[in-house]
Amino acid sequence: MNIVVAVKQIPDLQQIRIRDRRPVLDYVPCVLGDIDKSALEAAVELKESVQGRVIVVSAGNGEIEDTVKEALAAGGDEAVLVEDDTLADADSSVVAKVLAAAIRKIDDVGVILFGEGSADNYSGRVVSAVAADLGYPQVGYAKQIEVDGPLARVTRSLEDSDEIIEVPLPAVISVVSEIKEPRIPSVTSILKARKKPKAIYRLDDLGIEIPSGKNITTISNLAPVSERKGIVVKSVDELVKILKSERRLER
Amino acid sequence: MEFKLTKEQQLIQSVARDYAEKAIAPLIEEIVEKNEVPDEIIDGLKDLDLFALPISDEYGGAGAGYASYVLAEEQLSRICPGVAVIVSVNNVGAAAMSIFGTEEQKKKYLPMGTTGSGVFSFAFTEPGTGSDPKQITATADRDGDYYVLNATKRFITNSSYEGPIIVFARDTETGHINGYIVDKFCEGYSISEPWKKMGVRGAPLYDVYLKDVKIPKDNILGGPGQGFWILKVAMALGKIGISSIFLGAMLAAYEEGLTYATAKTHRGAPIAKFQAIQMAIADMFMKYEAARWMAYRIGYLADNAQDKGDILKDSAAAKIFITETAIDVARIALNIHGSYGLMEDYKISRVWKDVIFGSQVEGVSHLLKVLIAGEILKG
Ligand SMILES: Cc1cc2nc3c(=O)[nH]c(=O)nc-3n(C[C@H](O)[C@H](O)[C@H](O)COP(=O)(O)OP(=O)(O)OC[C@H]3O[C@@H](n4cnc5c(N)ncnc54)[C@H](O)[C@@H]3O)c2cc1C
Repeated sequence: MNIVVAVKQIPDLQQIRIRDRRPVLDYVPCVLGDIDKSALEAAVELKESVQGRVIVVSAGNGEIEDTVKEALAAGGDEAVLVEDDTLADADSSVVAKVLAAAIRKIDDVGVILFGEGSADNYSGRVVSAVAADLGYPQVGYAKQIEVDGPLARVTRSLEDSDEIIEVPLPAVISVVSEIKEPRIPSVTSILKARKKPKAIYRLDDLGIEIPSGKNITTISNLAPVSERKGIVVKSVDELVKILKSERRLER
Repeated sequence: MEFKLTKEQQLIQSVARDYAEKAIAPLIEEIVEKNEVPDEIIDGLKDLDLFALPISDEYGGAGAGYASYVLAEEQLSRICPGVAVIVSVNNVGAAAMSIFGTEEQKKKYLPMGTTGSGVFSFAFTEPGTGSDPKQITATADRDGDYYVLNATKRFITNSSYEGPIIVFARDTETGHINGYIVDKFCEGYSISEPWKKMGVRGAPLYDVYLKDVKIPKDNILGGPGQGFWILKVAMALGKIGISSIFLGAMLAAYEEGLTYATAKTHRGAPIAKFQAIQMAIADMFMKYEAARWMAYRIGYLADNAQDKGDILKDSAAAKIFITETAIDVARIALNIHGSYGLMEDYKISRVWKDVIFGSQVEGVSHLLKVLIAGEILKG
């Protein structure tokens, strides 16, 4: 049984600058988001128990072939990619359709892992849409997964409790970052990543229909303004008093 | 001409950065205090193949080349130059063996410094000379199938770790300077008390004593009479490590200066609002950028040179420029801090004591300039 991990290439968040409350993306390299790396790490661990392969799936522009090396260095066995420049800013319904079509090309799929939301937009819409498209059950917020024959036992991290459920496979499971700390890959595994098998599809190869109009329009996407209060105090006592009145000293 | 890292290089850079931030940074106080790097860090570097990046994977290295090595060493040194120095000297010894060693020597010794439990040392300096190989007084006496070595070697990095040490000594019969391969801690090998270095804390530094150390006659690196040539190549490659290490220290200084300039306020505004501080920030940026591309280029040259000795002029130039610029940048960053920069609570005080090492090791600047001019005038 194979394990699929869907990963998304995003601009390296550490290298983004904000100008006029908008991100400046020039010269910022593409990387994988941290939750996706946690999902991958969980997949690598699961692989031991199911004796399958970890197959990384991703859709994106021409850089995706390069970006996915990071996942192949960190334990992915092969990659299935959909490469098209229009995918860079495609909306989530299109991406879900594309990913579902790519996953259909893979044999013997058992578990399909996603990060709970992408590290850039965090809309979290793709997971459900892929599950619906494939007709598989979906489980969210997984912090632990065990595969037991035709079932997966999933511990879900809910706000004030954990929930353990069983789900028949194949299933789409989205994970929270605490499921696994992503590993630091070794230099040798980075150098070997380029030799791992990759299947690269164009949109036309997938036999799906992409709606021409946009379903989703982003009206505005601005960094929050952090306003300082500009309170000047004259003594420590006064500072403590203010902090207390704002209930900031209670923890 | 493309000024861009490959994806692999970007990833290797972030492996080193992540490892340095996650595994080394939390221990930095302890490393500085005890002047010792915990063994688990060396093991961790070996597990990630960061310990012998340019050495061929046939012998347990990563086979990642010198351009990647520069990137990784810069990131390690940004957090802890001491750790980066251990790696750098290991790679000088291992590279000399990769280039000049026989197949048998490589099979036996290289894995010790790549995946095994050892670390290479490279012993040239003596109490009487650090710059002039002609003045070496260590001796090797031929005795049948053996050589018997006697030497006092000064300031030898990694000499407290097990593994091979390449010792430069004079064959008393032929007068040749040769590199001899010795197993550290064999009979007759001993080390001094550790030197109490003011900076680059953690990198082990001792004097090494060889008293009638007996080694098989085949333990000459590269055969008799090649000592000078080996030194030239090893020094050319060693300067790549030193350039990267002081580039990393410079980056640390730059970051500290910049952070302080934006965090420290005067009359409610960050001091970065002052034009004088802005000049300082621009200066740090300019100097770091110039140094960085010089360092990256020297890695590239090493990867593309058939004969690594050919890059000596360029690697000497990079080494002088980068080590001296590191001092400039640290000085600027310290100025931005005012008196706070002199306090041990501020990282810049430590970086200041680190950067001063660059110009004094692996060839002092004066001599290297003579060497560079010599090459240029040769035409
Ligand atoms: C942290 C650290 C680690 C080290 N690790 C190693 C190691 O692993 N292995 C090793 O072999 N060594 C090592 N060394 C030693 C180091 O490489 C030498 O100390 C260095 O090369 C300088 O030699 P010296 O101190 O003997 O200086 P000298 O050669 O005595 O030079 C002193 C001064 O005289 C000037 N001078 C000397 N000769 C000339 C000349 N011909 N023309 C013009 N000026 C001249 C120099 O410029 C310098 O200013 C290490 C040193 C340190 C601090």
